[in-house]
Formats: sequence, structure tokens, C-alpha cells
Amino acid sequence: MAIDTAGLTSDDLKTEEMVINMGPQHPATHGVLRLLLTLDGEYVTHVEPVIGHLHRAQEWQGQNRTWFQYQALIDRVDYLSGMFTSWALSRAAETIDECHVPERAEYMRVIVAEMNRITSHLLWLGTYLIDLGAMFGFPFYPFREREKLLDLFEAIAGQRMMFNYIRIGGVQREAPFGWFAKLKAFTEEFPDRIDEYEAIVTQNPIFLKRTKGVGILKKSVAMDYGVTGPCIRASGINMDLRRFKPYSVYPKLKFEVPVIEGDGDTWARYMCRIQEMRQSNEIIKQCLDQITGGWPEELAERRKSCNSCGKEDCANCGGDLKIMAKKQNAGLRVKAGEAFAAVESPRGTLGCYVISNGSDKAFRFKWRNPSFCNLSVLHELLVGHPIADIMAIFGSIDVILPDVDR
Amino acid sequence: MTSSTITREIPKPGINFQLYELGKFIRLSLTWLTIIFGAVWIASWLVGVLLPAAIEQFMQGDNAHFIGNVLRALTPIVSVMVFIPINAMFMVLCERRALALFTVRKGPNRVGPDGYLQTAADAVKLLFKEDITPHGADAIMFTLAPIIFFAPSIFGALPLLAAVTADHPLYSFVNLPTGIFYVLAMSSIPVVGLVMGSWASNNKYSLVGGLRSAAQAVSYEIPLVLSIITVCFMAGSLDVVQIARQQAGGLLNWNVFGGGALTHANLGSITSIVAALIMSLSCVILFCMYLIAACAEVNRIPFDLPEAESELVSGYNTEYSGIKFAIFFLAEFTNLFIVSTVATVMFLGCGAAPLPILDEVMVGTVTSLLAWAQNNLGANFGQLGWLINSLINPTTFVAALWVILKVYSLVVFAILVRGTLPRFRIDQLMDFGWKRLIPLSLILLIAITFLKELV
Repeated sequence: MAIDTAGLTSDDLKTEEMVINMGPQHPATHGVLRLLLTLDGEYVTHVEPVIGHLHRAQEWQGQNRTWFQYQALIDRVDYLSGMFTSWALSRAAETIDECHVPERAEYMRVIVAEMNRITSHLLWLGTYLIDLGAMFGFPFYPFREREKLLDLFEAIAGQRMMFNYIRIGGVQREAPFGWFAKLKAFTEEFPDRIDEYEAIVTQNPIFLKRTKGVGILKKSVAMDYGVTGPCIRASGINMDLRRFKPYSVYPKLKFEVPVIEGDGDTWARYMCRIQEMRQSNEIIKQCLDQITGGWPEELAERRKSCNSCGKEDCANCGGDLKIMAKKQNAGLRVKAGEAFAAVESPRGTLGCYVISNGSDKAFRFKWRNPSFCNLSVLHELLVGHPIADIMAIFGSIDVILPDVDR
Repeated sequence: MTSSTITREIPKPGINFQLYELGKFIRLSLTWLTIIFGAVWIASWLVGVLLPAAIEQFMQGDNAHFIGNVLRALTPIVSVMVFIPINAMFMVLCERRALALFTVRKGPNRVGPDGYLQTAADAVKLLFKEDITPHGADAIMFTLAPIIFFAPSIFGALPLLAAVTADHPLYSFVNLPTGIFYVLAMSSIPVVGLVMGSWASNNKYSLVGGLRSAAQAVSYEIPLVLSIITVCFMAGSLDVVQIARQQAGGLLNWNVFGGGALTHANLGSITSIVAALIMSLSCVILFCMYLIAACAEVNRIPFDLPEAESELVSGYNTEYSGIKFAIFFLAEFTNLFIVSTVATVMFLGCGAAPLPILDEVMVGTVTSLLAWAQNNLGANFGQLGWLINSLINPTTFVAALWVILKVYSLVVFAILVRGTLPRFRIDQLMDFGWKRLIPLSLILLIAITFLKELV
């Protein structure tokens, strides 16, 4: 028997779109992002990221604190890669101050920064698999390696997350004895560990189904929105500040910037980060071999002859063998002037613009945070995808919310 | 600049750590399994044997006999009621410890001796938590949902009891001529509870989760049922005891390897041999298909879309707390246990050993031990020999041991899968179900039916 449709108008058959708040309290929004989603069944028709829940006025705080105080605070902006925010601030201040950073300190900076890049990507890898629904098994493997690096950070900087290690004029302190050997051992075994991850993840049919062809970021769109970091390199654009605008000792190091030619889907972003970890490992290996003055044990041996005099003209203690060019105390001052400096953080171009008036405080700060620019492209990627893909795509951009909100 | 050596050693988890933890895991499993099945055994013995015997001994008249029979009839229910909570506690603990083992961790190891009581403590905590009914929720439906989710699948599984105890007199009356049909019919009811709970929660995430689970259950029930029907065609019966009995006599008689096609094949005819080989291969595929569909049926990773913690914040049970959540939790793990039991009964030979000789040896040993106990203890302590003899039925005992081994192996396999795979997306799940599994199950149904005639 046919259904009697005589009394029905088109209004009775209309389906409604559902507005749903994803976040700020949601296990997969990586902090406090709020996504205002309009859903047609399971599919997203409109998305509006609402940010600012974690706004801490980092720039204003910088203008109201001395340089010395602000150095310790700035690690909190991107809590997974504190080394890079410190580095950007230090580079900007050093540019204004025309301060020559000793080469040994630059090598130390590259070593700890690349270590930090690895820890950041490892954490991303674990949490991304959680976003995709591998809730209990795999996510703990990356944390095993990350733990080793965090122990090394703890040994050198006294902190596992908020390092405050890279300072204006150099780095905080020399590595302890045995530290380099432990790091060397880590770099030897780490490629095998990445192979392990890839064995579980890269060829996994469900993982491929969930990531291939999902969240395609076209080159032109990526450039329009100012996307940087692994996201833009996964879209096939070779934009890495370490090569594009070299700083520190990167010109002396041999490494390839991984660029994934293809669709620019979430799988490409995953692949790009995996390869970046391998490259970072190579960079650390080279730095351990090349570092000016050698390992701390050798240097201490050399300094026995001059009894660690610490004088500027000493062949064992001064010049490029120092690790700090400026005196670190509460009266730390930077000359008057303005500068912009950027570093390549795990999430993209991290820039710092500073105006100094020569006092112990900065006059103006402006940060250019990669997560903020990368997040702005989200609605281009999400519309038309089902709910499950929101997490796959959002996770693949690797946004850190304190970095967005500052 | 001063330099100091690193004092903190970086721990290096190696193979020794894993072996040590594996040893602890096995010890934990054996202890808990002994507790569970000891408790079930004693409870059913008390209700089914000792109490009726005592009543019939000390009371006079027809009433005594009637009460005794009622108690005997209650035995299966009592054993299930004792079994389910303790078993769910063990399975949760086992899952957490096993996942820890896979990921080089220790897992819960603080509450009780080496973490043995962790889930017991969790259960107590859940019972004492506030029972919240959210604003705008349909209170009656909200309360009813966990019960509908929990009760049918568990009491629907009663016919399996007859099979797993090798048709023990106390359990044989729960067997039905259409046993497996009844089990499958009842196991499809819980999805109603899910949809009810998700609708009544007045929560958008829950609603999406509930609708997903309805779609998923409808699509994956078909391959599940078709694979079971194929086994029924092979066995020529819907009676679980019958199907279990036919698989006795060695590994090759199990339905997963063709249900005796290889042993019955006519060695003179090439057609018969080829058909037997193809049939056993198809049965292995059929078993894998059953496992996949069962995984989807009980919402385990990679098919845990109705829950989908990272997308839907636990989906249908977002709004549940306290004892209602505990019931959902209990039912989920019990359902996993039930589908594993169905797989064991239908495919893995139920209580039969992989080699027939093993069965004979084990039953013989238990029988002779019992006879010794009756002769020695019975002579000295009067009724004690009879008590011991009534406590253990050798055939049931050996069959139950094998069933426990097989079922929990499947459970550990499900945990291993959970520790490895990411989740499907809803459209991919539907594709996989309708475009791959259902056609394959139909093909296998027809192929196996034909091949059976050729063997």
C-alpha cells in the first residue's frame, strides 16, 4: 500500500541542520578550541573556529617585564617547543644588540632545538593516532622515545617542558658530562624506532583510508592563508626557513627539507613530519661531530691547561668556545632599535618583532605564531567532510592552542 | 661554567621487562579465572545439588521435591548472575594489563596485591557516584536504556550454557532445539537500548552516536547471522549441543577447518579431496568474517563508532554516570564474552580438545582422582565422598577448561586488535559492510553448501 502523501507539504519533509559546539571542553580539540559546527547529518556544512579562551596577553606581558623575566615566560607560548620561542626572542634581541653569539652556543642551540622538534613531532604522532581512534595501543610508543629526550632536557636545562635554556647572547649552560654520549646513543637507535612506527602506521589500511585524500590543502590556498611549516611542505611548497633564509649554523649542516609532492592531504602532512624527524636526527648527529670545541669532556681536558680562566682572549675559554656572550642578570639590557627575527619551529615560521628603547624592558612586542595562521585555513579544509574527519584534519594541522591565543 | 655528570639513569625497557610483565599477566589471569569459575562452580553446586539434596533429605512430602526442582531450575540463572559481574571485572583488568603489556607499560598495579583489585575498587566507586539525569532528558527511557542494553543479550545466551558444560544434567534443560537462533535473536535487541539511551539523553553527541550504532548494528548483523547460518547448514542443526558434539574428535573436525570435510573426504576421488580443501579454506574465511562482524556488533575498535571518544565524547553514554554507566560498561564486556563464546561453540569445537587423545587422558585422570577420593575419603568420612563426586563431573570439567581457554584467547585477540588499529569512518564502515562482507558471506553460504555435497 502506498503511503498517503496528500496531506504532506514540502515543509513536513524538510530536514534540519544541527548546530553543535565542539569544544572548548572536548577530548580531541587539543586544549580549548571551540568549533561552531553546522552539520547536515554527519557532514559539516559550516565551521567557525572560536579562539581566545587561552589568551594571556603574552605581548603585553613582554612590555611590562624585564628582558630577563620575559625570557623565562616565553617558553609557555608554545609549550611543546619552548626552545623555538626562546630562540626567536633571542635572535631578535641579538639583532638589535649587534651581539655576536659564539659558535659553540649556536651549535648547542641547533642541537636542543632539533631535539625539541623531535619531541614535538613525537607527541603529535601519538595524539594524532588517538584522534584517529587508535585509543590505547600505538600512542604510547612515541612517548617512550620522547621520555628519553625529556630526560636529556631535564639534565641540561633543569626542566622538561619550560626550558628557558636559549638566552639572549647564547645558551644557559654547558652540557653535563655524559650528556653528549647519551644523545649520541639516542640518535643511533632512533631511526629504528621511526621504522617501528612506520611499520605499524604507514601501511595500515585503515590509517590509509582515513588519511588519503582527506583534507586536501591546495598550494594556492596554503599560500593565501600564510600556512607554514610541515603543512605547506606537505602541499609541495619548499618553504623552510632553515634553507630559505638560513640562520645560525644551518648553512654548515647537510640535510634535506622533506617536501611531499602530491595532493597535500592529511597523509602527506603525516609523512612530512615523519621524514622531518629523520632529518632532525641527522642534524643532531652532524652537530655532535662538528660542534666547535668538541664534547664537554674534551673541552674540560683542554681547559685544565689554563685552569678554566674564562678570559675573553684565552684560546680554550674565549671566542667561539664560550656558550654565552651576554651577562645574564636582572639588569639585562638591549640597545635601542627594532628587529624582526624568525625561526622554523615544528609548526612553521615563528616570528618575533621587537622594538627596544634601550631600557631593561622592551617597548613593543609582536609575535607571528604559526599555529594561528595554520588554524585560519581550517574552514577551507573541513566543509563537506563528516564529523570523524574533523579530528583527522584538525589533528593533522598540529595546532597548539596557547600558540594560537598567546 | 661548571659541568656535572648526569645522575639520573635513563631506563631502558628491554625484552626482560616484557617477559617479566608477561609472567605477571599470566599469573593474574590464572588467579582471577580460578576465582571466577570457582565461585560459579560452588554457587551452582550449592543451588543445584547440595540445597535440593538437603531439602529432600530433611523435609517430607511432595513439597520438598517441588522446591528441590525449582532450585535445580534456578541453577543456570544463579551461575550467570554470579559469573557476569566478576567476569566483567576480570576482563577490564585483563584488558588494561594486556594493553600495558603491548605498550611497554605496567598497567594498574597499586590496588590490592599487584593491582588485582583495581576494577573491584572502580566498581565500588561507580556504585557510589551520583546518579545524574540530565536536564531535559526523558527520565523513564533514560533509566530503561541500560537495562534493555544489558538484560536480553545475557539471558539470550543461556542456551550456550548447555553446550559449554557438555550437556551437564543441571544445564541441559536450558538447551533449545533452535538454540543458536534464539541467541542471535536476543543479541540483536541491545541496539534498541543504545538508541533509546542516546535519544533520551538530550545530547547531540549522544544522538549521533546512537544513530551510528543503529546503522552499524543493522549492517553488520547480516554477515554475522549469515556466517552462523552457514555453520548451521554444515552441521544440519540449530541445536548448539548438537553442533558442539559434531565437532568432537580432533582439530580437523572443528567447523573452522571445514567441520570434518577433510577427515570424511573420499581419498579415492580427486573431486572429493579438492572440494574438502576448498571447503576448509572457505570455513577459515568464514570464521574471520564472523570475527569482524562480531567486533562490529559489540562496538570494539576498529568499529567503536558509536562511542568514538575522540569524536563524539563517548557517544551514547556521554550523559550516563554512576550505576547506569556501570551497567553499560558491564554489558559491553559481557557482550564481548558472549560473541567469543558463540565463536567457540560454533567454530572452535566447543569443549573438544585439539587432539582426541588429550580429552581421553584428561577425563581419565579426573575420573580416577575422583574414584580415589571416593574410596579413601568416602570410607572414612561418610557423605564426603558423595559430595566430592557430585561436585565435579569429569566430562563437564574438562570441556569447561577447553572452553575457558578458547574463549579467553579470543578475548585477548580482541584486545590485541584494540591495541593496534585506528577507527573506521562511518561511510567506510558502511562500504565495508555492504559491499564486501555481505556479498562475501552470501558467496560463502552458497559455496559451502554445494561443497558439502561434493565431499
